[in-house]
Amino acid sequence: MTPDLSEYIRSRVAILDRVRGILRDTMKLKIEPEAIDPDAPLFGTGLGMDSVDAVELVMQLDTVFGLQLAGSPEDFLKIRTVNAIVDAVLETHDES
Amino acid sequence: MSRKDEYGALRYNVALSRMDHVGVLRLAGDEAIEAADAICSGDLWVRDGRMLQTLILDDRGKPVADVYVCPDNDVCFLMVEGITTEDLSACLAQHVSPDLDVQLEDLRPGHELLSVHGPYAWELMSRWLTPDIIGLPYLSFYRFDRGICFRAGKTGEFGYDLMLRKEHVADARQELLELVSAFGGAEVSLDTLDLCALENGFFSVRHGSVEGLTPIELQLQWRVSTRKRFPGVAAIEDRRVKGIRRRSTHFVARDGVKTGDLIRSSEAPVGEVMSAAFSPAVDGIVGTALLDISVAHPGIDEFVVHDGASTFPIRTVSSPLLLNRSLLVDPRRHSYATREDAVHPPLWPGALP
Repeated sequence: MTPDLSEYIRSRVAILDRVRGILRDTMKLKIEPEAIDPDAPLFGTGLGMDSVDAVELVMQLDTVFGLQLAGSPEDFLKIRTVNAIVDAVLETHDES
Repeated sequence: MSRKDEYGALRYNVALSRMDHVGVLRLAGDEAIEAADAICSGDLWVRDGRMLQTLILDDRGKPVADVYVCPDNDVCFLMVEGITTEDLSACLAQHVSPDLDVQLEDLRPGHELLSVHGPYAWELMSRWLTPDIIGLPYLSFYRFDRGICFRAGKTGEFGYDLMLRKEHVADARQELLELVSAFGGAEVSLDTLDLCALENGFFSVRHGSVEGLTPIELQLQWRVSTRKRFPGVAAIEDRRVKGIRRRSTHFVARDGVKTGDLIRSSEAPVGEVMSAAFSPAVDGIVGTALLDISVAHPGIDEFVVHDGASTFPIRTVSSPLLLNRSLLVDPRRHSYATREDAVHPPLWPGALP
């Protein structure tokens, strides 16, 4: 594995773990962090979160990562799964 | 009609499809839901009139059926893909206590399933059935005089599965085809439904072999209970204790990648392609790969597939890939007639490697 890839994965896993922690501790998902699959749908089917949860999740992501989402459909794309959230956080950090 | 035309109908307008690949079993009796609970891997916390997606596993924890559980008072419908209703009945006979008050009925002999998908499927259904259908929540169902309408679908678009009694099928199909035509749509094949499911990250029993895999590798742990016993639970528990070595991850490629191909880094093999198909939205290949757990993450550009003298780069991506039109079309503000007035971003906002 190249050093760049190794560093990228390390960053990704660190954010992934923090997002899983938010889902378990703040969003009160009754599930162990390692059982939250990175590509599992968070809303509707999947982990079963709803629109109220979405508002809380957006607030948490702003507080923890500085990820600011305006609530547009395009923004919803960024919180459909844990991996999508990690992508958005990495993109925000790259921009800043 | 070409695959591309079918795809365009489903992704931009409406599509009608036969659902001959789905079996439906009706469980009746006071303990119908308990019988379903005995064979399904998920926690069946689902209210009457709602649907829950789960799996049936074999003894090694391999998913053999993709299941919707749909309870309705003292009846529970099971909609299954992957096994026949005969196999499902045998599974129930093997795992459900004979003391339970439950009677099985295979509904396929007396019914057929059709489905309607697309960003304007809600509008078509509101004309065909009732305007109230627009308010039917995702994963719930509605009885009407000719059968049952299930608000479901595995394409990322608005979707309705219609279980119709045989005597109504011909008329209903003709009426729906006329409406589909008026909405610029088309009748689509199972291949097109499967492609759309692949793009949107839905599990399908037809997306390549899952031999030796469990819901943990397949990122389907949300469909597996940690609180109850079910067929395959011992294998799941064993896999959880030992950890997984590989995980399913989505990818895109420009071309040249097919199911079964070996995926390599510059140093060594890192996985293999589970399923791959050409996506008109991406204008390239979309697929799932089974990657070594150390590199099973999106956003990686360093892997390739070799095919003789050629090398094809792949990029791992997050699922679902698409920004579906159905996320942007709002039944309160939009309609098929005014579709040209709305400006939408592209279905796929990404880039090929």
